[in-house]
Amino acid sequence: MRCFAEVMHPQHRGQLGVDWRDRPVALPGMAGVCRNLRLGSPAFGWAVDHGEPGASVGSPDPLQHLAVQVLACVGNRVRVTGGRARGATGSVIGTHAFVLCDFAQEVLEQMAPGDAVVVEAEGQGLRLLDHPAVVLRNCSPSALDTLPTRSGAGRLEVGVRGVVPPQLMGAGLGMSSEWANCDVMLQDPAVRSAHGLQDLCIGDLVAMPDQDHRFGRGYRRGHVAVGVVVHALGPVPGHGIGVVTLLTGGSDHLGWWLTDRARIADAPALAAP
Amino acid sequence: MTGAARAGAAGGRSPVAGTNRDRLVATVVVGRIAPVRLLGDPYVVTADGTPMVAVGAGGITPTVRVGMPAGGWAAEQVEPAVSLAHQDPDANRALCLYACVGNRVEVQDGDVDGAIGVVTGKHEQFQAFSHVLVDFPAAVLEGMGPGARFVVRAIGCGLAAAGAPSVVCHSLAPDLWEAWAPTVDDHRLLVRVAATCPPELVGMGAGRLGATTSLAIQTADRAALDAHQLTRVRLGDLVAIRDWDARFAMGHRPGALTVGVVATGTSRVLGQGMAVTVLLSCADGHLRTTKDRGANIAELLGIGVDAP
Repeated sequence: MRCFAEVMHPQHRGQLGVDWRDRPVALPGMAGVCRNLRLGSPAFGWAVDHGEPGASVGSPDPLQHLAVQVLACVGNRVRVTGGRARGATGSVIGTHAFVLCDFAQEVLEQMAPGDAVVVEAEGQGLRLLDHPAVVLRNCSPSALDTLPTRSGAGRLEVGVRGVVPPQLMGAGLGMSSEWANCDVMLQDPAVRSAHGLQDLCIGDLVAMPDQDHRFGRGYRRGHVAVGVVVHALGPVPGHGIGVVTLLTGGSDHLGWWLTDRARIADAPALAAP
Repeated sequence: MTGAARAGAAGGRSPVAGTNRDRLVATVVVGRIAPVRLLGDPYVVTADGTPMVAVGAGGITPTVRVGMPAGGWAAEQVEPAVSLAHQDPDANRALCLYACVGNRVEVQDGDVDGAIGVVTGKHEQFQAFSHVLVDFPAAVLEGMGPGARFVVRAIGCGLAAAGAPSVVCHSLAPDLWEAWAPTVDDHRLLVRVAATCPPELVGMGAGRLGATTSLAIQTADRAALDAHQLTRVRLGDLVAIRDWDARFAMGHRPGALTVGVVATGTSRVLGQGMAVTVLLSCADGHLRTTKDRGANIAELLGIGVDAP
């Protein structure tokens, strides 16, 4: 489904947040164009709040915005139809408050808020015929083809770069898994290290045990969700790095293994040309 | 810090911790009955993928009162007794900040003019509403209709415990403090709670401001609730949440502790659950709890099922 959107301008209400060290902060991060924080960039260490990589697109009309936010899937093609970068193409790498799109560096250098884009939305409703108990969310057919997977005895396993324990799941619980993403509360470097998550990058796949993301997102023992890191850290408690759900199901049907190959930034089909 | 120290309600063994209650500003804010609203589709989708009609938020619910079980209702996060809001969004945010659990509410105009109620909690639903919940005597609830103005005698913002400076109070009226009777020992505040929730069961509410809103204790996984003795929680129970920091924006923090009051019933939706209104939070270990199954605001304040 072809959705019309545009690069959205950052907005600010002049209010400060209080970060995890109890300091007031006002930082960039959401909407607009981020030229140096991109697919493959580290998720931590930036002076940023919910650092959305690449170009953040959406619509000034709330219902059109919701539609493109829900329908756009990881791996979808995006074409720039207005502004200096007109004609360039990129990929949807996730969703947050906006649809997050990666483009080649020279394209990002040319883009600006207000540039029109077309998102070729495809993926919601995609099913795995050989693994009917595993549910896909926000996953385009092209993204599915690039995921590191293996299966045996009726169980599908996905390669991941990290495992997120359930107590770190933050803002995004209780909301639809097709919408935006779920923050992982990783402000404290000691917490990151304790769980081996300190080197996560935008585009890395992670497993979320004890999470059921089929109809919303929430805690449920015996379930697991697998997703992709889509935005850099937000420093305010309860927020964090954003993870978009790609697969979810009972642990009898869905599992993971740790591998450094679990990076969509390395997938030729998804990386910006 | 001049708070009156007097015998605690818990057997008179330790004096109630002093507070700055005589330095708090007493304000007045106003709300009206929050209308029951429906956005087209009446269904929400439960954790198992089945649709259900989400009864429970807004309006007047005379049959659900603090002191009753939080679970078991054919409802979603049912709000006990009366749900208040202000129609102006900015004024509503102020109402939800100023109103404190234990504050008196006077009805003006309408069928029960002059009736007095008590704030029992605050409840926020994402992108939908923020309500202040108020209990009234049963006869008042029966006679209550639309049109009344609810005048909240708000006091409690800025409450601080003498001798435990790292404990932050939110939405906590001095009257509830006195009835709950926290004590201080070695810069640690000690309070009674009915149950303790592990951090992995905290759902929607992460990232919100602890002072104005609620967070959910997830209730879709019944076995997990059983494991932590959370299945028997009642509306109005005082509960603790481990490794949870709600001093400013709410989030996970190892070693922190948050204590709040169960403001609404349970939920069958993933990531949602019984809403807890934050009362106390501390990041550095100076807030401690003792278990007391009877730690419930209905009993402490003589309201809800314990109303005279």
